[in-house]
Parts: sequence; structure tokens; C-alpha cells
Amino acid sequence: MQTERRRRLTLSRLAPWLIGAAVIVAIMARIVFLVTQRDYNPSFFAGAMLQSLQLGSLYALIALGYTMVYGIIRLINFAHGEVFMVGAFISYYIFSRTPYAITWALMVAALSAFGLMYVVSLWRGRLTDPVVLGAGLLGFLSLTLTLSSSQLGWIAALLLSMLMTGVIGILLDRVAYRPLRGAPRISLLITAIAMSFFLQNAGVLAFTGNVTAYRPETSWTQTMQLQFAGGTIYASRVVILVLLLTIVLVVILNLFVTRTRLGKAMRASAQDPEVAQMMGIDVNRVIATTFLLGSMLAAAAGVLWGLSYGTLSQPAVMGLLPGIKAFAAAVVGGIGSLPGAVIGGLLLGFMENFFTALIPGVTQYRDTFAFALLILVLLVRPSGIVGEDLSEKV
Amino acid sequence: MPQDRTVRNALLTVAGLALLAIVLYLVQEQGGTKLQQVFALFAIWGTAAVSLNLINGTTGILSLGHHGFMLLGGYTTALLILPELNRERIATSARSLMNEFTLSLSVENWASKLGLEALAAPEALWLRFIVAMFIGGLVAAAFGLLVGIPSLRLRGDYLAIVTFGFGEIIRLLASTDMLSSFTNGSLGYTGVPGLVGKSLWWTFGVLAITVFFMSRLKFSSYGRALQGIREDEVAAQAMGINLAYNKVLAFTLSAFFAGVAGGLYVSWLSSARLDSFLFFLTFYFLVAVSVGGTGSVTGTLMGTALVVFVLQYGDPLEQTYPLTTWVFAGGVLLALAALGTFVYRGTLRLRPRLNAAVYLLAALALLTVIVSYVGPSFDWLQGDFRAFGLRRIFLAVLLIVIMVFRPSGVLGRAEFSWAWLLRERRDEPTDEERAQDDWMHKAAAPVGGDEPRAAAHPLLELGAKDEDNGAGGEIDARSNRAGRTQSDEGRET
Amino acid sequence: MAMLEIQNVSKSFGGLSAITDLGFSVHEGEIISVIGPNGAGKTTLFNLITGVYQPDNGDVYFEGRSLVGRSPDQIVGRGIARTFQNLRLFTNLSVLDNVLIPQHHKIRSNWLSAVLRTPGYMRKEREIHETALEKLSFFGPRLMSFRLHQPVLNLSYANRRRTEMARAMATGAKLLLLDEPSAGMNPKETTEITQIIRRMRDEGGYTILLVEHKMNLVGEISDRVVVLDYGEKIAEGSYREVVANPKVIEAYLGKKASETEGGSDADEGSVIR
Repeated sequence: MQTERRRRLTLSRLAPWLIGAAVIVAIMARIVFLVTQRDYNPSFFAGAMLQSLQLGSLYALIALGYTMVYGIIRLINFAHGEVFMVGAFISYYIFSRTPYAITWALMVAALSAFGLMYVVSLWRGRLTDPVVLGAGLLGFLSLTLTLSSSQLGWIAALLLSMLMTGVIGILLDRVAYRPLRGAPRISLLITAIAMSFFLQNAGVLAFTGNVTAYRPETSWTQTMQLQFAGGTIYASRVVILVLLLTIVLVVILNLFVTRTRLGKAMRASAQDPEVAQMMGIDVNRVIATTFLLGSMLAAAAGVLWGLSYGTLSQPAVMGLLPGIKAFAAAVVGGIGSLPGAVIGGLLLGFMENFFTALIPGVTQYRDTFAFALLILVLLVRPSGIVGEDLSEKV
Repeated sequence: MPQDRTVRNALLTVAGLALLAIVLYLVQEQGGTKLQQVFALFAIWGTAAVSLNLINGTTGILSLGHHGFMLLGGYTTALLILPELNRERIATSARSLMNEFTLSLSVENWASKLGLEALAAPEALWLRFIVAMFIGGLVAAAFGLLVGIPSLRLRGDYLAIVTFGFGEIIRLLASTDMLSSFTNGSLGYTGVPGLVGKSLWWTFGVLAITVFFMSRLKFSSYGRALQGIREDEVAAQAMGINLAYNKVLAFTLSAFFAGVAGGLYVSWLSSARLDSFLFFLTFYFLVAVSVGGTGSVTGTLMGTALVVFVLQYGDPLEQTYPLTTWVFAGGVLLALAALGTFVYRGTLRLRPRLNAAVYLLAALALLTVIVSYVGPSFDWLQGDFRAFGLRRIFLAVLLIVIMVFRPSGVLGRAEFSWAWLLRERRDEPTDEERAQDDWMHKAAAPVGGDEPRAAAHPLLELGAKDEDNGAGGEIDARSNRAGRTQSDEGRET
Repeated sequence: MAMLEIQNVSKSFGGLSAITDLGFSVHEGEIISVIGPNGAGKTTLFNLITGVYQPDNGDVYFEGRSLVGRSPDQIVGRGIARTFQNLRLFTNLSVLDNVLIPQHHKIRSNWLSAVLRTPGYMRKEREIHETALEKLSFFGPRLMSFRLHQPVLNLSYANRRRTEMARAMATGAKLLLLDEPSAGMNPKETTEITQIIRRMRDEGGYTILLVEHKMNLVGEISDRVVVLDYGEKIAEGSYREVVANPKVIEAYLGKKASETEGGSDADEGSVIR
């Protein structure tokens, strides 16, 4: 039973829409103005478009983690931004040492393959299950190959970072969130904030306290030139990688959620954990899976972030803003909805990029804008674009 | 002997306050600079944490924007009180965006314009500071009103995120060109007079006022209404509580005191900078409130004392030690974890008490300790390590542990009381209860004035036969009391 | 002139009609029961009167003034209070606080005088304390004495129900809406609650509108009974008239009886009697 809101067209109801309309009109006016200028160049828009897609994909990958966790345990995983940071730094430490000598590569690959087999065996039951063995073998081969290669190191960094960050995600749930199942959601949120604070400082302790240059050896970071409508777009090749990888990961995630038993159990738990438990679903395992997948996606985003922007800011602050923006994206898309997170992420990337690219002098408001958007969406339409209303039911 | 206890408790309270006054005097007059700083910081953060407790504890809304309120109060105070010398320095600086108008904003200017020579005099700096701090509080309160409005539409975690967003937006906007003419951008203000924020009498005076205000508010009808909102919003509204008014009231009052604390804080720091008002400030207060007892004013003060102690005296944690020492410390931690698991299983009556986890932890602990002793003979265990940020990590872990094992904090919602400290059992009814029992038995003695209904209680007989509630016919407080009840002592009726 | 007038009220949720064109009135000093199978719209009716929901159509008048568009707390101020079907007490607060909170709206002093404890505020505070004790004493000794300061979560279920009724009375309402006051109570406690409700009217002067499943309770105290089925009023009148009404018998025992009555503790035998 929820206190019904009276539908009255008051100023307070209209204000957010008016603000939104004003922003859109301003951007449109700016575009028209640019188009009428003599030095107008369509490739400028195309370049901005590419950058937006890139940024949006990264937000989408992080937002998926927020939305999956919220969908299942109704927790705003405040520490997710820090998980992203951890993923980025783990990949940096693996990446910066490639190519490995073949003996080291074999050792690391073997160890990681065992880790991978252990993680997979948590779901398949036995270590001798063909799927587990297959995953182990595949992991071993691909890691040995990529770790010792001078050009394919990013694959090893990606895989290892995803694996390790995924395990950290599971630990996060096990240590901090699982003891609080059934506790008030506010306690859970406070724990998440504490966990975020912990990871920030542990990151400084474990990694570095400085800004880190992320410039490993790979051809992905080279610049390419594209001819477009009479102009030249300069863009990093990594754009292609970001887009491809995002599409691949999202497709795999979608297949997992809709096709596999565990994925279906996940969706069932998101609907109603208690009933799901009564139907014989091990909800704790499902939640652990959710954290694993969310953290793996965040780690992938971390690797791509490093490749895209070439630097990692210091661990205490690196996760905060991308995390908050991705959360805003998840809310914009409709929290709890996987397609919503992707749409929201892309939308946020576009808005942020175009906002700053089109209107000079607003770069300093870039972060403010993300927070303002978050507040606005939460106030006006907490259910987001495609999501159902998951706000607290009385 | 309830009468004696009341007297004894009053005496103990007076003695405690006198002791505090003596300690403050000694610290102010004899103590070292460090000790004075720590005491003042406790009072300042205590003010902020107690004000946060009004929203987080009493009203039950998780607010994460407290650093924003403190920033507003702090910057306002700093701008209004900045000495002329520092203003000139800012005016001549090329990097500053401040203009004629914003630089002229000062209590001193206003006082001399209004002809209040006494206020504009150099000796009256403390008075100007109080005025500036009050205005800072009002500015923060105005913003608190604004932040409180979303609480009408949102609940729980979404609302928490919105308050967090507001807190961050204040900070981000303060560094932009738009507001740099007021805030002096990333440069901030230096040379804020420290005479108030560094004085124990002023800081503890403000803390005392805040504690007085907040505890009075908590035990007033308004406080009860806020607690009703915390327990069940729908029921509170159905019982005539105006949710909008009360929630916004809580935000506004809380923001006011946070703003005042911000004013003290810039004075304590002697400067106003944007990176003094980061989110971790709110986090510390959150730790203080959660550890001490969510909703308890005295509990919050205890939590603040802990946080300030860890941060101010925890630097041995962050010094350079040989790696082997760290390994040894890790072993000790693991051993403690093993012991903790053992005790925890014991209290939960889980069997076997020594399960695999205990053995594993104990074995790891042993192994680690051994490694730390033989360590120096290995290459890779030689060298030093400095653990930056260990104090913060400690606080974060503490908060997680509290949330997992005792989510309501050490004191819970109750206030500190001597009975709680002395572990007193309440075996005898209080005077109030005796009076009520008398009233109940004298069926014809109406308390509620000339109510005829109070005279006749046919249900007294009906209740007498009713055994299922354990109330029985004879109202005997002794037989039914479940051990010690602590809440009564601190609560005035 | 009726105290509460419900005129052609309709309410639907997403196309599903919960209340259709409902109308009846409650006169001062009456005890009216609303009965009907589960899902008949009884609690929705309460939510409409107390402002939790707003009606799509029709109007609700209390003492001649419309309640539509008022928020729940404003409606309490007008003089209507309710209890909840599944208890919504302030569980961590003491019994006394639970009965003091509904009197907050009577306090006219602002927060500053409450903090400063001005004489005017303290007088009012004493008054509401006395009212609280008076309302609690309605239920005999079991909510008094040491229980006053116990948190509600230590109370037995029956005592919680009593506390909730005391809480509704403490608002100073003239009309009480009781949502299944005897749910979860044993026969002895039900008898007691029946007497309490009668005393509320006779001694307290309250007008009472109640939703109840236990037919013997309804039969014993109701002046009139309103029967709802699928959101429509199918009968109204004295208990004897109503239970003899073939429509009512069909609603309760008709072909859908096995589904609609599942799980409730309604005494079906007494309907036929």
C-alpha cells in the first residue's frame, strides 16, 4: 500500500521537464549555430559520436554490474566503482610486464587455469566435469599464448583481470553483504559505503598513490585517420576494440541470463528471492554469480578505460566518478534492467560528450552534470526509461 | 531505592561535568598543542556528528551530504571573517576571480557601516566570529531545506544517493568559475582566524549547545514524531504526522548545526579549502553515528571520540616498519580472527566450536608468525614497508564489523546512563510506576481530570482473570521485568 | 445529518475495479461493520477514507466537508483515525511513545519552544501524557505500569492490537476505523475486544466503522452491516437482515466459496445461522 501521489500539474512537477527541455534547446541551438558557421565540419560530429560511443560503452559495462546487483538484492553497490578501479590496476600490473618469459607465462597460466577451474567447478559441481576441464584447458592455452606474446598481452590482461576481479567481487559479497541478508537496506548501503572506502584506501596501499600511465605495448592505442564527409577524423584504434568487446560481452551476458539454468535462476531470484529459494534455487550462489559477472564486466571496463585514456588516476579517486556516472546510467535506463543499463550508459556517454563538445566553457561542469542528472532522474522518474518501478514498496 | 538513585545519578552527572571542566581547563592551560588540537577537533566533529545523528539516527533517513553543509557553513564563515590583510592579498592576486563586491562581504564592514563600533573593534573579533558562524549556519540551513525536499518523494537508498549527489554538487560547483568569485576557487582562503576554532571553551561550548538542543529535541514531541517517521512512515502519517514538514525540519536543523561546525572547522584549520570538505568527512561522521549508536546523542559522541582518536593518534600505524613486522602483525590478526570465530561460534551455540575455518585460520596464523621469525633469512622479506591509509582502512573495517555484528551500534538507540554504565539491574518499580499502580488499583482516582470513564474499569476484573499475557491480577513489576531495562534512566517524562 | 457520507465512490487499479459506485453513511454513535469475502475491497475502502488513496469518482464527506484531496495527516486532524490489518506500530518505541506520537498534531507550539520547554509547551506535553495514560487504561492494566516503557516488540500479539487501538483513540478522533481488530486473537480475547469496542462507543463516545471477518463479533455489536463483494455493495441493514439475504449467502458460500474464503478465519457457520 503506497500513499498515492495526486496528479496535479504543479510547478515542482514541471520544473525538471522544463530544465530538460531547456538543455535540449540549448544544445540544438548550438548545433544550428555551428552548422551555420563557415568552418563547420561534419567530421567534428562524427568524431564526437565515436568518442561518445566509446565512453558510453564503458559506462554501460559498469552500469550492468550496478543493475544486476540491484535487481537481485536491492543494494546500490557503492563499492562497484572501486571494483572497476581494482580491475583496471590488476590489468595494469599484468600488462606492464608483458611479454612474459615462456616459463613465467606457463606458470601464471597454469595457476590461473586452476583458479578458473575452481570458480567454474563451484557451479558445475565436480572438477572433472567436462565444462570445467574445457574452461581450464582453454584458459591455460589462451593465457600461455597471450602472456608470452608481445602484441596480444591485452588479452591476457583482460582475462586475468576479469578472473581476479570476479573473485574479489565474490569475496566482497561473502565478507560484507552476505552476513547482512535480511537486514534493513540502509545497513546494507552503509556497509557498501564502508567497503568502497576500504577498497579506495586498500587500493592506495596495494597499488600506488600516484597517477599511473597505462601505456603498454599494443597496436590498439595507435591513432587512425578516417576520411569522413570531406574531413579527417583522428581516433584511437581502441574505439573499435571497446565497441567490439562491449557487444561481445553484452551478447554473452544476455545468452547466459536467458539460456542457462543459472541465468534463469538469476532472473527468478530478481523477481522474488524468497519464492525462488522455496523453488529450490540456492539464492546465495545466484547472488555470488551476480557479483562475479558484474565484477568481471567492471574489470573489462577497467582494462578498456586504461587503453582508451592512457592513464589511471590514483586509486582513491579513480572509481568514484565513473562509478557514480555508471550508476546514473543504470538509473536512467531503469535499474534492474539489463538492456536499460546499456541504453542508459550510451545515453549518458552521448550527453556528457556532446554537452562538453558543443558548448564551450562547460567542461568544468561535466561532473556536476552527471550528479545533477542522477538527482533529476531519481526525482522525476525513478523507474528509468525501460525499468519497472523498483522503488521501495510499502 | 529509586529516590537515592536519582540523587546519586544527579551527583554523578554533576561530578562528571565538573571533571570534564577541569580536564578542559588543564588541557587549555597546561596541555601541549597537539592535545589541544585533538580536543578541539573532537568538539567540532562531535557537533557535526550529533547533527548528522538527527537525520540518520532519529529520523532514519540516511543522509550522505553532510560535508556539503559543512562546506557551505565553513566558506561563509571564512569569507565573512577574513582579515583585511588576506583580502588585499587575494585582491592583488592574478589567479583570483573574486571581485570588489565579494571581497567587501565581511561582518566588520557591515558593523562599521551600521555604526556598531563595538562590533567592529579589533577586540570584538570573537563576537564577529560568532555572528559569521551563525550566518554560516543559516546558509547551510537554507540549503538543508533544499536537500530536504527530495525526501518527500524518495525513500531509503535512493534518497541517500540524492543527498550524496547534493553534497558532491556543492563541492564541484564551488570550484567552478560561476562561484569562484565567492569561494576563491581552488585556492580557497588562508589565514582564517583561529581564536574560536582552536579554543576549547568555544568549541566545547558550541558542542554543549548542540548536545543540549539535540537531546531536548529528541525527547520532545517533535523528536517522537521524527522517531515515528523512522519506524513506519505510513503509520506515522496515518497518525497525523505531517511527513513533509517534519522531514524538512530535520534536514534544516541538522544542516544548521553542520554549518556551524563547518565554521569552527575552518577556524581550526586556519584555512578554507575544497579538499578539506571531501566525502570522507561524512564517512567519518557516519562511522561515529553507527558505532556509537544510531539515534543516540551520547553514543554519537563516544563514536566521535573513537574516530578522532584513531585518526589523530593512529600515525604509528602508518610509519615505516620492516616487512617482517608487518607479517608478524598479519599473523596476530589471523590468530585474533581464529579466536573471534571460536568465541562467535560459542555464543551462537554452533557445534563443533572448532570447525575447519578456525583450524585454517589458526594454522595460517602460526605459519605467518613462523615466517616472520625466519623472514630475515629470505631476500624477499627484507626491506621496509609503509602502510599509507591504514587508519582509514581501520575505520572502514570497523564500520563493516559493526554493521554485521551490531547494526544498531554500541548504545543502540538508548542514551548513556549511569545505570547502563554500572550494569544496574532494575528490580524495583520506579516512583512513576508505583504511582501508576496506585492509580490503577484505586479505580476511582482519575488522573485525566474529570473523566468519568476513568472511574469505572470493568475490565480490571476481566484482565485479572486473563493469565495469558503474564500481566496477572496483581501488577507486580518485579515478576515480569526482563533483566535490566536501561532506557528509563536517561529518559525524562 | 450523517457523520461520514460515502457517495458513489469508485476506485480502480490499472483497470481492475476495486470499489464500484459505493455509497453508504455512518451516523454519530453508530457501530457499522463492513464485511465481505477476501478481496471485496474492504481495506481499499479504508484507504480511500483515510486519504491513502484518492477516489477516481465520487466523494467522501466527513461532518459535511469533503475529504477528497486531503492527505492522511490532514484527515487525522479532521477526526478520523484507523488501525491497520497487519499491525503498523512503531515497534522499537515504547508503548507510551506509541500513544504520544498520534497526539503530536495537537501540539501548536513550534520546535523551538519544544526545545526550550516553554510553559505553554510543557502544559500541552502534560496534557497529552495524561490523555495517553487514560487511553491506555481503557484496556485495563496490561498496557500500564512497567509495560509503558517497554518497546512494543516485547509485547504479545494481543497487546500489540490493543496498543494500536489505544494509539488510534489517542489521535483525538471521533470516528475510528478498525481494520480486523480481532485478527489473530483467541476466542476469549475476541470476547474482550468485542466489549472494548462497545465501551469505546458507549463510554468513549466514538463512532466506529469496522472491517471484520468473525461473524459472531459482527453480529454482537453492529448497529448496521454493509456487505461488499467485488467492490460493490450487495446488502446493507441489520445483521439479521443481512445474513438472511440470499445475495450475501451466495457471495460467501456460492460456487466461489472455496477460493474466496481460503485462509481466513471467518466463522461461516454463523452466516447461515
